[in-house]
Formats: sequence, C-alpha cells, structure tokens
Amino acid sequence: MNAGLLLLEYAVIGLALLVVALDLFCHDSDRRRQIGLVASGCLAAICAYSFLIHPEGSAFGGAYVMDPLALWFKRFFLLTGVIVMVVSTEYAKQFETGVSEYYVLQLFALTGMLFAASANHFMLLFVALELMTVTFYVLVGYMRQRVSSLEAGVKYLVLAAMSSAFLIYGIALVYGVSGTMDFTQLGNRLQADHDLTGNVVLRLGMLLLFLGLAFKLAAFPVQIWAPDVYEGAPTPTTAFLAAGSKAVGVVLLLRLMGQAAYEFALGSEKLLMIVAGLTILYGSLCALPQRNLKRMLGYSSIASAGYLLMGFAAMSASGSVAILYYMAGYLFSVLGAFAVVAVVANRAGAADVGALAGLSRRNPLMAATLTMAMVSLAGIPPLAGFFGKFLIFKSVLEQGVNYGAYYYLVGVAIFGVIVSLYYYFNVIRAVYWSKDSADLTPIEISSPLRYTLWACIGGMLWLGLYPQVVLKSAAAATALLKLPSLN
Amino acid sequence: MNVGLEHFQIVSAVLFGIGLLGVLIRRNIFVIYMGLEMMLNAANLSLVSFSRFNNDLDGQLMVFFVITVAAAEVAVGLALLVALYRKRQSAHVEELTTLKL
Repeated sequence: MNAGLLLLEYAVIGLALLVVALDLFCHDSDRRRQIGLVASGCLAAICAYSFLIHPEGSAFGGAYVMDPLALWFKRFFLLTGVIVMVVSTEYAKQFETGVSEYYVLQLFALTGMLFAASANHFMLLFVALELMTVTFYVLVGYMRQRVSSLEAGVKYLVLAAMSSAFLIYGIALVYGVSGTMDFTQLGNRLQADHDLTGNVVLRLGMLLLFLGLAFKLAAFPVQIWAPDVYEGAPTPTTAFLAAGSKAVGVVLLLRLMGQAAYEFALGSEKLLMIVAGLTILYGSLCALPQRNLKRMLGYSSIASAGYLLMGFAAMSASGSVAILYYMAGYLFSVLGAFAVVAVVANRAGAADVGALAGLSRRNPLMAATLTMAMVSLAGIPPLAGFFGKFLIFKSVLEQGVNYGAYYYLVGVAIFGVIVSLYYYFNVIRAVYWSKDSADLTPIEISSPLRYTLWACIGGMLWLGLYPQVVLKSAAAATALLKLPSLN
Repeated sequence: MNVGLEHFQIVSAVLFGIGLLGVLIRRNIFVIYMGLEMMLNAANLSLVSFSRFNNDLDGQLMVFFVITVAAAEVAVGLALLVALYRKRQSAHVEELTTLKL
C-alpha cells in the first residue's frame, strides 16, 4: 500500500471539504462567490506543486498507478480545474442559490478525473468515470430556473447513463473471457494467448468498452449529446466538459490501447479510421449553420474528437505524442474561448454569434483571446492548434506507407479543416467587423479572469512557438505505451 | 437440466437488449430511466455469473460498486427529472425541444 501517491487527489478532496466549511461562515451570496477565488488560488498551488513532483509506483494492488502518463494528465486536469474555477467565480453571479456547492461539485468532478488518469483496473476506471459523470449530471442541470439547462441535464443523464451501461457490460464481457480486471494482467494474458484476441465475445466486449469511452470524447456514433449539452449547460460546466471530460476519454483509451489491450488494438485501425473520418465530417459540416456560439463549439469539439481519433488510428508512438500535444493546445484554446463566451453571453442573455458584435471595442483583451482561440482551433500557424493538427496528420501520413487508406483519412481531415475555417472566421468577423452592435458599453472583468485570459493567450503562443518542452514531456509520458516507434 | 454459464449469459444479454430497446423506443422519460436500470442490472448478472464460473471474486466486488453507483445515479437522475417535470408538466421526450438548431 502506497497511499502517499494519492497526494494530489487528497489535496483536491481536502480543498472541496474546505470550501464546504468556508460556506458556513459566509452569510450572503456575494461572500460565497468569493470562495471561488480561494478555491482557484489553492487549486493553482496544487497544480504548481504537481509540476514539481515526479512520483512513481502503484497503490491498491496495482489498481492505481502513478506513472508519467498519469502525472501528465493529472497536471492537465489540475490546470483545467484552475481556469474553470476562475471562470466559475465570474459566472456565479447568476446563481441565486448554491454558489459554493457549484465549486464543490466541480472539485469532485476533478477528483474523478484525477483518479481516472491513474486507473489501471476496470473497477477503478468505472468508479472514477462515474464519480465524474454523476457530478456532471448535476453541474449540467445546475440552472434549475432555466428550462434549457434542465433539458440539457436530462439529455446528458439519459445518454451518459446509457454509455455507462455499455461500458459496464463491455467490462463484464472482457472480464468473463480474460478472467481478470487488471490492465497489466489483461495485457499479459492477451500477449500469451493469441486465441484470446480472436474471441468473438472479447471483441464485442472491447467494442462496447470503446463506445463507452468514445462517449466521453464525443466521437461518432455517440456524439449526439454534445451540441445540446454544451448549449444548455452553464458555461463553466461546458468548458469543463470540453477540456476535462474529453481528456478522460483520451487517457483511458491510450492506456487501454497502448498497455492493456495492445494486441487487440492492432487489429482495429480500420474501425478507428472510419470512426475518426465520420466524426470529423459530422462535426465540421454540422457546425456550419450554427448561430449559437456554445452549440457551434459543441460541434467543433466533435470535430476535435475526430482529429484525436486519427492519432489513435495511427497506432504509433508519434501518434500518441501528437494526441497529447493536441490536447495541451486544445486546453488553452477551448478554455480561453469559453471564458470569453461565459462573460459575453452573461451580458447579452444569449450566446448568439451576434452578441459578439463590437466586442473589439467593448473589451479588446476578450476580443483578442476569442480571436486567438478561434485561429488556434482552426489550425492556423503559429498557434498551438496548428502544430497539434500538423503532428497528428504527420503521424497518420507516416503510416500511409503500410496501408493506403491512411491517405484518404488525411484527405477527409483536410477537408474538415477547410470547412471549419468558415465557421471559425465567422466568429472573428463578428468580433471585429460586425456593424449591427446596439450596445457599446465597455465590459469590465475581474482581475483574476484577466490574468486567466492572458494565460490562455500565452499558452497558445508558447505551445505554437516553443513546442519542444511539451513535446518532450509528451514523449516521456507515452514512452511506456507499447506502440511501435517508426524512427 | 444443468444450468451453465451460457444460460446466465443469454438471460443477461436478453435483459440488456430489452433495456436498450426500452431506452430507444419508449417515449416516457421515466420508462426510459427504467430501461437504463435494466441495462445496468443485466451487466450485473453477467458479472456475477462470470465471477462464479471463473472462480474469481473481482466480478462480485464490481457488482457492489455498480449497484452503489446506480443508486447515486438514480438519486441525481430522479431529482433532475422531477425538476424538469415541474417546469414542463410533461414526461414525454418529444417535448424536450428547447435545445435545437
């Protein structure tokens, strides 16, 4: 037993309890809102601490592992948590009651993500995923006075519960055939016994498992929830779903495909390629007619899931490095975008693209952040998003030598990128060139949020211009996966 | 007749299928929720029988976690459904159309 490894999880749970305790001493909702600042400060300290430590080992009989991959994603989740917490503090003005509960629930969802990054056993995988998902049901339906939020909550509830059922049934089938729930043992058994890989029940189980995880990524065919839920949920929740929930799907798929079921994953490139291509097409094409910003970002997040799946389909070391890099760039881009949307939509009462009119004069910093986020998401140099997409395309093209269908996949992806330029630049046009702006009063934002926006801009630029640091850490994190390296 | 692993698995697959069908074709949101619970219980049955026939307790343990999580899910889920019902006075999924293109 090696409980010291769980320090980051303990710290986040402790912080959640601290927030509950602080709530007792605050008597008006404005004070309660300020607790968010305390929470984001503490979370920032935890996040900074996570960059200083390099623990390795396993706990709970190998069910919980702390390796470079887990640590990389824990840092990712903590950083996401800090930014989302700052945005929540700004957004919490809208809540009539239950301000500090909103922070607490976010911290619990964060705990689920941290545990999921370390899951090396189906039991921990399931419990961590559900800790996150059940908390998200509440977070999505948090604005009880709004029908749209409740409706999004119910839709998320039904679809996420269905994906959980697929996941657990898949786990049951895999467990039944292989006789183990431990990833390491599963990997050993699949390696030792080649008949096992061809077993139909095992294949079905793995497929169901993949569906359950693909739901978190918002990949085709389990992507239907994303636009509705993104639109209806409170904006900080949407941001958390977009960055955090997607990354949970990524880390679990990486661990499953690279470590536990590597022999099995080798035969599934075709499936992954088809799913990736359809996800990109669906996300890019459906985003075109959208006028609601949050809904548009929902479709864009589906397209991003497609690009990530391309990295999985490459089945190579460079593919998984590209996935991690893409996620890092995605974090800053998407959180920056949602931070701006949260404030603007709050003012305008709706998250329409039209609400952005005149933003360049109302608040230049927010306009710049949103523009950079859109440019980065569209994949234009020199920002983070460009380099992420470039690396993913490169890793897929490398595989094209072995199997020609990879070239078609890149063709589909480039088509998706070109289509996406239209709707991303629509937003930028609204920010800078839209004439029909009724309201030109400046938008004041709190200084923590201003620093956060600067951090997002800095992150996008830094990742795009100096990718070496993150690339090196991503290579170290994915070194333990069994994926073949081409170089 | 000797009841073997296959029988349990077939029953659990049938249960899972009925639950899934319920989720997909029923229009009342509470009945959909019952379908979801049935899917989870089908997975539980499968886990328990695999556990028994594999001579390994992990499956049984997993079922405890699934039951606990399902209980939490029901608590949160029913609260959400009731809140929505109060707003809309209807439990039919066709009327959940606020969020559309």
